[in-house]
Amino acid sequence: MSLVKVKRAKMYALLVVPGFLALMMFWERQDPPEAHLKSARAALDSAAAKGALRYAEEGYREAERTMKNGWMEMAHQKGRVAIFRDYKVADSLLSVAVSKANSAGQQAFGKKRDLETQALSEIANLRSELSNWREALDGSLMNFRAENYWSTAELGLQVSDRLIREGEYLAAMEAIADSKDSLRQLSHLLAEYSNDEARQLSHWRTWVQETVAWSRSTGGYAVIVDKSAHKAYLIKGGKQFHQYECEVGYNSARQKAFAGDGATPEGKYHVVNAHNGSKYYRALMLDYPNAADRRRFQENKSKGIISRHARIGKYIEIHGGGGRNEDWTDGCVALTNQEMDHLMRYATAGTPVTIVRRTDNWP
Amino acid sequence: MSKRISIIVLAAVVLLSLIGCGKPPEAEMQKANASFDAAKAAEAEQYVPDMYRAAMDSLNAGMALKQEQDSKFALFRSYGKAKNLFIKADSLAGVATVEAAAEKERVKAQVSDMLATAKAAIDSASTALDKAPRGKGSKAEIELMKNDLTAAQAAYDDAMNDFNMGKYLQARTKVQAVIDRAGKVSADIEAAKARKWK
Repeated sequence: MSLVKVKRAKMYALLVVPGFLALMMFWERQDPPEAHLKSARAALDSAAAKGALRYAEEGYREAERTMKNGWMEMAHQKGRVAIFRDYKVADSLLSVAVSKANSAGQQAFGKKRDLETQALSEIANLRSELSNWREALDGSLMNFRAENYWSTAELGLQVSDRLIREGEYLAAMEAIADSKDSLRQLSHLLAEYSNDEARQLSHWRTWVQETVAWSRSTGGYAVIVDKSAHKAYLIKGGKQFHQYECEVGYNSARQKAFAGDGATPEGKYHVVNAHNGSKYYRALMLDYPNAADRRRFQENKSKGIISRHARIGKYIEIHGGGGRNEDWTDGCVALTNQEMDHLMRYATAGTPVTIVRRTDNWP
Repeated sequence: MSKRISIIVLAAVVLLSLIGCGKPPEAEMQKANASFDAAKAAEAEQYVPDMYRAAMDSLNAGMALKQEQDSKFALFRSYGKAKNLFIKADSLAGVATVEAAAEKERVKAQVSDMLATAKAAIDSASTALDKAPRGKGSKAEIELMKNDLTAAQAAYDDAMNDFNMGKYLQARTKVQAVIDRAGKVSADIEAAKARKWK
């Protein structure tokens, strides 16, 4: 080869090699997927705003990881010689990250909406249950344990209402569940109470029958008080002569157990004296406690059902001062003053007075 | 002569390509990662989400830049920007940790105050009930108010339980209901006294 040819070859090499190197270094076959990275970050922000961190955390974290992997892959490619750069994987990872973030956002939104719907439905249900129980309790004798359960459930409703308003649906449903549990306990308590009533109903029936039979056989006056119905019946010759509205002890959904328990006693009594100087207008004093009351009181004491310091109580009367439309006495039976005047025209010392919680055979 | 120069240039190129223009900022990266983990442990994502996200973005950007430089020929590597981003991420994560703790403490103190208010409201209503005259006609009402207070006390215990478990936001919502209920009982006592307990 001549010297000229060698020189020419060298000159070509000097031009071509740097040119080739420059081509390798700077010839971008494709742009880095910066826009996809931006989209992935925006999608994650949007998912977080929809509550994905709380309601779709797994999906959100997965999207976060995928975005990071895509970002790193993009960085890796950016560091390579231009001609070898390939952003396909990065592009694909970032696209998947966008899709996963969107999916987490949708999942969170859907779950939140479902929880909200469920919580609202359950709270409406609880509100309705509470209202039904309120009606049932208002129509019956005061039962403080039952009222306690109702009150607990009602406060639970207030709490869950607030939690729903703050978007705390899971906590709200826990509060609703607790309230429903209180209502279940209320239901059990009232079921027990009904069973107890059913067991005692035969006694009350017998007492009423005996009182009516006595009145029929003697032609005399007798009084039957139905605590649940808030009625007092004056009977003569075995037939209803007059009917009065009455109010009873403030805690009368039970047999009287001791002094100060607020229950009106259930049993067969007699008027021991009629007097006009009562604190509550006029009064008919009853012979409470009778022998059966004393026996039950002692039994309850010995079984530890009531305190050993409890007293049996006395001064149970039918008196005036009624008409308050609520059970308010400590255990007496209250009539309006006008009706007390009417009753005292017929009831005197010795008149039988039978008090039952419920009667299904009178009048 | 020209041969000697070529050898020197080649040696310099080889040396530079082996050493590179910078050292990877491993220490800064580790420090930033540790700070970010601390922010995570301080629940910064929940209490100061924007700060947390800013720290995470800086950390990720730093790691991406480092990755980019790692992938280059050693001759062209430069970790200056990555290092700065790690330093920034470290600083942001540190601030997020402190701010998260402060925010958490602020909510905790607020709920703690509310719990104290609720307890005082229950105690005050309870004392008012104990002092209420127990004449005929007031006992049932007193018993019902006692029930309300018992329910309020149970809800208070529940809120306290949430508080002790660190569920401050739930505790705050619950305790507000307790304060309202105890306040209502107190108001009912006053109203009833004025009405008929005289």
